[in-house]
Amino acid sequence: MTDAPVSRLRNFCIIAHIDHGKSTLADRLLQDTGTVADRDMQAQFLDNMDLERERGITIKLQAARMQFKAADGELYTLNLIDTPGHVDFSYEVSRSLQACEGALLVVDASQGVEAQTLANVYLALGNDLEIIPVLNKIDLPGADAERISTEIEEIIGLDTSNAIHCSAKTGLGVPEILQAIVDRVPAPPDTTEEPLKALIFDSYYDPYRGVIVYFRVVSGRLRKKDKVLLMASKKTYELDEIGVMSPDQKQVDELHAGEVGYLAASIKAVADARVGDTITLASAPAEEPLPGYTEAKPMVFCGLFPTDADQYPDLRDALDKLKLSDAALKYEPETSSAMGFGFRCGFLGLLHMEIVQERLEREYDLDLIVTAPSVIYKVNMADGSTVMVDNPATLPEPQARESIEEPYVKMEIYAPNSFNGTLMELCQERRGTFIDMKYITTDRVTLQYELPLAEVVTDFFDQMKSRTKGYASMEYSLIGYRQNVLVRLDVLINGDKADPLTTIVHRDKAYGVGKGLVEKLKELIPRQQFKIPLQASIGSRIIASESISAMRKDVLAKCYGGDISRKKKLLKKQAKGKKRMKAMGKVDVPQEAFMAVLKLNENK
Amino acid sequence: MSVPLPAGRRPPRSLYLHIPFCHRRCFYCDFPVVPLGDQADGSRSQSIADYLHWLLRDLAAAPAGPPLSTVYIGGGTPSMLSPDQLAQLLAAVRSHWGLAPGAELTLEMDPASFDRQRLEAVLALGINRVSLGGQSFDDAVLEQLGRRHRANQLREACSWLRQAQQQTLLQSWSLDLIVNLPQQSFEAWDWELSQALAQAPPHLSIYDLIVEPGTVFAWRQGRGELLLPDDDQAADRLQHTHQRLQAAGYGHYEVSSWALPGQASRHNRVYWSGASWWALGLGATSGVGTERLARPRTRDAYSEWVQADAGRQGDGPAAGWPPVEDLLLVGLRRREGVDLAWLHQTGLGGLERAWLERVLAGWIERGVVELSAQRLRLVAPEGFSLSNAVLSDLLAALERSEPLAPTGARLG
Repeated sequence: MTDAPVSRLRNFCIIAHIDHGKSTLADRLLQDTGTVADRDMQAQFLDNMDLERERGITIKLQAARMQFKAADGELYTLNLIDTPGHVDFSYEVSRSLQACEGALLVVDASQGVEAQTLANVYLALGNDLEIIPVLNKIDLPGADAERISTEIEEIIGLDTSNAIHCSAKTGLGVPEILQAIVDRVPAPPDTTEEPLKALIFDSYYDPYRGVIVYFRVVSGRLRKKDKVLLMASKKTYELDEIGVMSPDQKQVDELHAGEVGYLAASIKAVADARVGDTITLASAPAEEPLPGYTEAKPMVFCGLFPTDADQYPDLRDALDKLKLSDAALKYEPETSSAMGFGFRCGFLGLLHMEIVQERLEREYDLDLIVTAPSVIYKVNMADGSTVMVDNPATLPEPQARESIEEPYVKMEIYAPNSFNGTLMELCQERRGTFIDMKYITTDRVTLQYELPLAEVVTDFFDQMKSRTKGYASMEYSLIGYRQNVLVRLDVLINGDKADPLTTIVHRDKAYGVGKGLVEKLKELIPRQQFKIPLQASIGSRIIASESISAMRKDVLAKCYGGDISRKKKLLKKQAKGKKRMKAMGKVDVPQEAFMAVLKLNENK
Repeated sequence: MSVPLPAGRRPPRSLYLHIPFCHRRCFYCDFPVVPLGDQADGSRSQSIADYLHWLLRDLAAAPAGPPLSTVYIGGGTPSMLSPDQLAQLLAAVRSHWGLAPGAELTLEMDPASFDRQRLEAVLALGINRVSLGGQSFDDAVLEQLGRRHRANQLREACSWLRQAQQQTLLQSWSLDLIVNLPQQSFEAWDWELSQALAQAPPHLSIYDLIVEPGTVFAWRQGRGELLLPDDDQAADRLQHTHQRLQAAGYGHYEVSSWALPGQASRHNRVYWSGASWWALGLGATSGVGTERLARPRTRDAYSEWVQADAGRQGDGPAAGWPPVEDLLLVGLRRREGVDLAWLHQTGLGGLERAWLERVLAGWIERGVVELSAQRLRLVAPEGFSLSNAVLSDLLAALERSEPLAPTGARLG
C-alpha cells in the first residue's frame, strides 16, 4: 500500500470558484479510479460537514488517495488535497497548496474566471504548482469554451491550448484529466533519506482518538512506532496510528517523502497541531521547520450572549468544546451591564462567525444573541500608549485618546462591466479609495479599491451580490492600519445605554448611521407594555431619536370555548418568541435588533 | 376562606351540540361547516338526516351523568334543522342525561333561516335562549362578508326575538357582530353599534375579526386586497365599544361578550370557568377529563369515529383538571379573572403572588392587569385587548422557571 515509489506519486488540488463544480469533479475522480464504489457514493463525498453540504461550499478541507493505471501500464498513486473555497480560510488554502505539486484549475465554461479562483491561482503559481486548466460543464448549452479559454489566457496568462474539456456531471473528459495529472504534474522530489519534515495542512477533532492530523511528508519517513515533535507548538507525541485516506482512513506502517496521510496521537486540541506546523522526529529532529507557518489571526469580533442567563455555563462549555476542533476561534469572557455574562469572540471572517454561531445553536442547542461584527481598532492614547480595541463599547473616551486607526484591505472585485457604476458607488459609500480598474475581457472588469475592513464585514458582500444579481465576486487581503476620524456611536433604549449596539463609525457618516439605526430598531423591536424612546448619541449629544409606542392590541376575540388548542398553540409560539428575546432593562429585544447596523441598507 | 372547594372536578352539567350545516361558508369562517346551498332545509336534506343519525349515536355512547343545566346548539347554522329534528335531538338529550330545572337551552339562529312561525315552533320545544348571527346592519358589509341575509331581515329577526322575550316565550337572546372589518371606518363601526343598541338585545357578542388561514379573507389578504385597520385603530374601536356599551348598561363580562344585568350566557361561562362539559358532533371538543377531546372535522372521519367509538376514554372519569395554563387561558377572559386560591385548591399548585407580581410588573404598572389578594384579572377594555400579550408573558415565564408552589404553600 505505501510502497508507492516516489516517482509514481502525484499530489494535486483543485482550484475552483463556488458552484463551478469542484466537488462534483472530485467525486467523479474517486468514482472513476474505483476509490469509492458507485453504490457508496453520496453526492459530494469530500464535503462532509452538514453545514458545507447545506451551503454547497467547502469549509474544512479533506484529502483522498486514489490508484490509477496510466497509459504506460503503471499504477500511480494520486493524492487529491481539497482546499476550502472561502476568503476566510485563505491561510488554509495556502498550506494545502504547499502540500501539492500540481493543481487542476476548474472553470465553469459558461461563467468564466472569478475573483476567488484568481486569488488561489496566484497562490498556486507562487508555490510553483503545475496548473492544468479544466473547462467544466462543457455539456451545458451556455458553454463557450473558446471565450473562456481566451479569458484564462488574458487574465492569468496561462496557456490553454491543452486545456481539458470536461463535464464532471456526465463523466466526459475525466479519464483525460487523470492521465494529465500523471503526465503533467511533477513527481515529488525524492528526499526519503533526509530528516523527517511533514507539513500539517488540516486537522480535525475526533472525540475518541483526539485530533486527527492530515499531513504531507515533505522529506524523510514516518513510521508507526515513531515519537514525533511538532516544531511550532514544541510538543512531542507517541503515535497511536498513521494511515492514508482512500478516502476512508486505512492504517499503514510507514509513510515516506511525497506521501499524504493522517496520524492520531491522542492530541487534545487542534490548537496543539495547527495547520502549517511541521512534524519531525523527536529523536532526530530536522534543523529547520518548513517555511510559512503563521497562527491564524481573528479579523472579526462579536459578542455572544445567551438569551437566558442560566445558559452561560453551557455556552462556556460549548465554546471550550468547539475550540478543540477550531484552532482559529478565540474567545474571552465579556460582561455588559445591558447583556449580563457572555463572551467576546474572534473569527477569521464573517463566514467563520456564522459557522460558529450556527454550530453553537444547532449542536449545543443554545439560544444566542450575537452582536454586530466589529474589527480591531488601534487606539493611540493621549499618554502615548496604544490600546487595541475589539469591542466598540470599550473604546476609550475622546479626551483620553489621541487618534484611532482602523484596519484596511485591498479589495478586488470581478464583474461584468455593466455593473461598474453600481459597484463603484457601493465602494464609495463604504469609504473606499479607488485604485485601479482593468478590462480583463471586452465585457468583464476588475475593480481595485482600498477599503476599511469595518465597512467590508458588515453587509458589503450581500450588497455587492444584490447589486450585480450575483455576478460579481470579490477577494480581499489585509494591508495594514490607517488613521481616520472615527467616533463612538451609542444607542439608548428606554434611556439606558445598549452596549451591544454601540458602533464605531466615521464622523461624516455618524448622523446617517444614527438615524438609520434608530429607525431600524423601531421596526425590529416589537411594541411593548409602554412607550420606548430610542436614541443615538455621540458622547452626551443625542443625534437621532425615535420611539416605539406602547402596544394596544393583541387578542384573539373569537375563542370558541371548546377548542382552545389553536389559541394555545399560538400563545406558545408567542411565548417562545419572547423567551428568545433578550431583556435589556425592561425592554425585550429580539436577536435581529442586535444586527440592526447590518440592515440599514435593506429596502432602500 | 370563602372559596368553593373543588376537591375534584365535578362531572359535566353542560352540553355543546354541533350542527355543521350552513347555506354558504362565510368569507371569514374556518369552523367545521358543511355548506349545503341557499335552498337547503333540514326536513329535505339527506345530508342532515344522515348526520343526525351519527350525532344521536355519538350521544348514545356518551357516559351517563347528572342532569344538564346548560345546552348550547351551535354551528354551522342549527336553525336549518326542522323543529321535528330539533325535537328529536332534545328528546335524546332529556332521556340520556335529563335537564335540570331552569336549564338554559341556547340555539344559534341565522337571520333569513327562520320566520316568526318557525321561531315559535322552536321555542315550544324548550329552547329559551337564541344567539342571532347578525354580524352587521349594512348590506354592503354583509355582502363583503359573504353572508346570505340582509339588514332588513336582521332587523325583522331582532324584532321577533324582542317580542318573544316580552311575551316571556324567550328568556334571553344575543346578537353577534364583527368589528374591525376591512375598510371599516370608526364612524361606520359607531353606526353599527347604534343600530345594534336600537334593537335592545339583552346580550351582545362582538368579535374582533381574525383572518384565519384557508378562508376567502386569507386569500384576499395574500393578494393584498384586504385593507384592515391597523392595531391602533382597532384598539380605538374596541375601547369605544366598551365605553359606549357600558354607558348603555351592558357589562363587559368576557373579552367578546357584553350583557345587561343577569343576561350573561351561563353556557359560555362554563367554558371559561374551568368546569367540565360534554360535546357532541363533528369537530366538537369536549372537556371532561384532563385532556380535551376533539372529534374529527369531516363527516366521513366523524362517522367512522362514532362507529369505532375510539378515544371515548377521553370523556371518561371526570376527576382530572386541565393544566394550569389552560385554566389561565380561559379564566382570564372573564371580567373577574382567576381566583388564585381556587386555582391552588385544584391541586395543580397555585401561582405565587410574588412571582406573578414580578412576571407581570409592567402590565400591573400600566393598569392592564390587576393583582389583588386573591385574584388575577385583566382590566377592561385595555386588558382584554392585550390578553394575548399578557398570557404569552405568563406562559413564557411558566416555561422558564418552576413557579408553581407545591400543595400547601401560602398565597400572597
